[in-house]
Amino acid sequence: MDYERKKNLREPEQTNEAADSEVSTHEQGSIEVFKARDKETKRYVALKKVLMENEKEGFPITALREIKILQLLKYENVVNLLEICRTKATPYNRFKSTFYLVFEFCEHDLAGLLSNVNVKFSLGEIKKVMQQLLNGLFFIHYNKILHRDMKAANILITKSGCLKLADFGLARAFSANKGQATRYTNRVVTLWYRPPELLLGERNYGPPIDLWGAGCIMAEMWTRSPIMQGSTEQHQLNLISQLCGSITPEVWPGVQNLELFNKLDLPKGQKRKVKERLKPYVRCQYALDLLDKLLTLNPNQRLDADAALNHDFFWMDPPPADLEKMLSHHTTSMFEFLAPPRRRGMQPHPQQQRPPVQQQNPDQHYDRVF
Amino acid sequence: MSRHTQKDLPSTMTTCETARSSQEERQIHFQTIRYIFIAGEKLSMTALTTATAAHLYHRVFRECKCSDFDPYLIAATCIYIGSKVEEDHKKLRDVINVCYRTLHSDKPPLDIGSTYWSLRESVVQCELFVMRLLCFKVVLTHPHKYLLHYLMSLNNWLHPDTVTEVPYAKTAWAILKDSYHGNICLHYPANWIAVAVLYMALRCHDISVPYNEEAEYCWWEAFVEDLKLADIHKIINEIIDVYELENTI
Repeated sequence: MDYERKKNLREPEQTNEAADSEVSTHEQGSIEVFKARDKETKRYVALKKVLMENEKEGFPITALREIKILQLLKYENVVNLLEICRTKATPYNRFKSTFYLVFEFCEHDLAGLLSNVNVKFSLGEIKKVMQQLLNGLFFIHYNKILHRDMKAANILITKSGCLKLADFGLARAFSANKGQATRYTNRVVTLWYRPPELLLGERNYGPPIDLWGAGCIMAEMWTRSPIMQGSTEQHQLNLISQLCGSITPEVWPGVQNLELFNKLDLPKGQKRKVKERLKPYVRCQYALDLLDKLLTLNPNQRLDADAALNHDFFWMDPPPADLEKMLSHHTTSMFEFLAPPRRRGMQPHPQQQRPPVQQQNPDQHYDRVF
Repeated sequence: MSRHTQKDLPSTMTTCETARSSQEERQIHFQTIRYIFIAGEKLSMTALTTATAAHLYHRVFRECKCSDFDPYLIAATCIYIGSKVEEDHKKLRDVINVCYRTLHSDKPPLDIGSTYWSLRESVVQCELFVMRLLCFKVVLTHPHKYLLHYLMSLNNWLHPDTVTEVPYAKTAWAILKDSYHGNICLHYPANWIAVAVLYMALRCHDISVPYNEEAEYCWWEAFVEDLKLADIHKIINEIIDVYELENTI
């Protein structure tokens, strides 16, 4: 199938500092995603370039993992990998072709939607977003896959309101074998969405790491900007302690055994104020309760996707409401990189995290992508 | 940009997948698979990784003519891809050195020089070729996990003396490994192969499953519902063919 390239969908961006130390560490490049159109069917797709530069070990293992995982995960709330294509090898590229993962095209990402003040979510619509997000997480965890990069920019939403988990570039399979400790890298997840266990050096982690991110994203549905914008690991832990209370063996038995527990300076005597601090934004008491249970310090007590889906929040009035009608008012694609910065105040830019987003178009209705 | 369907790849395909390869080709593949197993052993790859490498190798030659490619290059590439797919990582350098040594046991080890670099480049290029040829579908289901499960179930059913004294499990694993010298893995589901291998191992040791005669279902039907004895025999015959092939080499 032939594709004509239309537009950059994502500015070349620094990925997470995350590098899988279990294998080689080549993925610290930039992600390039393009919008393209199938010349035959005229269908729009997103092309994600497979980075091959400096690849001494052949086809990158991270790309192979992503492909393996996406071939396994066929589900309505997970981004759909259509195929893999490549450019022709010609003398111009020294007979090295470039490979692209071809995805179905989604019009928006959640970070882009949240940064647009004209996009307003009703409580029912927020429920629909969270329900789909948790459905997606339930499905991938059921299939023994960890996403490891939950953040609003990686949550895609089609114009008909279907949510898709995207960017499995850091995802990996996990084994539920409780007997032996695993040694996964803890250099994963964008800092602002990184759960306390990873910040404290845990290497034997599991699905709860993605649920912490789900909690952060849920809060963001109301606050409209990431709730904990740390600039360093230490700063992030301070912010977490200020919101969720001090990290102590009393609330989290076993935390003292984590590698960095004694090496980092953990704020003491902080009270847990999740509900209290989010109350000004979130008026629904069920929402506050679910947030409180997702943003639980102890990963063993944090709700899993199944329990979260059974929470009263989704079953009390108003019921989850389709997003299609609301989104139909917005005919422009909204992606994070196109949006003005969402950060509150002047915090130092986290190293290697969000791209420096330039204020391109104050008018959000300006047609940028087509 | 073009899609990876098999049609845009070199015109080397044999369209008919069931086309039986000639005796000569089967001998070549037998020897290449043996080389994969030896190299795999030296690289301390797991049984699964080696099985993946062998299975991928057979899939490549289901699509390609044997005469168009160097089987040993394809084999080395499949070893390398297998190590990535199964997360049993081996450095490309090690794969090349070990494969070279396995193939040329009479020559001194490979120096870092033009030969080494061109071998490396060949494997890297061949990797992309194989990936495209297989449409990036490189995740395989092996009979191993089924066999393990069946053996565990059977251990509880057989007489304890049989379990401790007769090495039928070892035999089953050996037969399974040997079966990769032919392309049986391409033609039957993994769970069928596991049953056939187990059936064959039990027959080799003259073990009968208790109460099988009186039971309404045969023991393997408890594992795979729709599997007929005729199919088991068919698979076993193919395995025996592989052993007979060995005698001709």
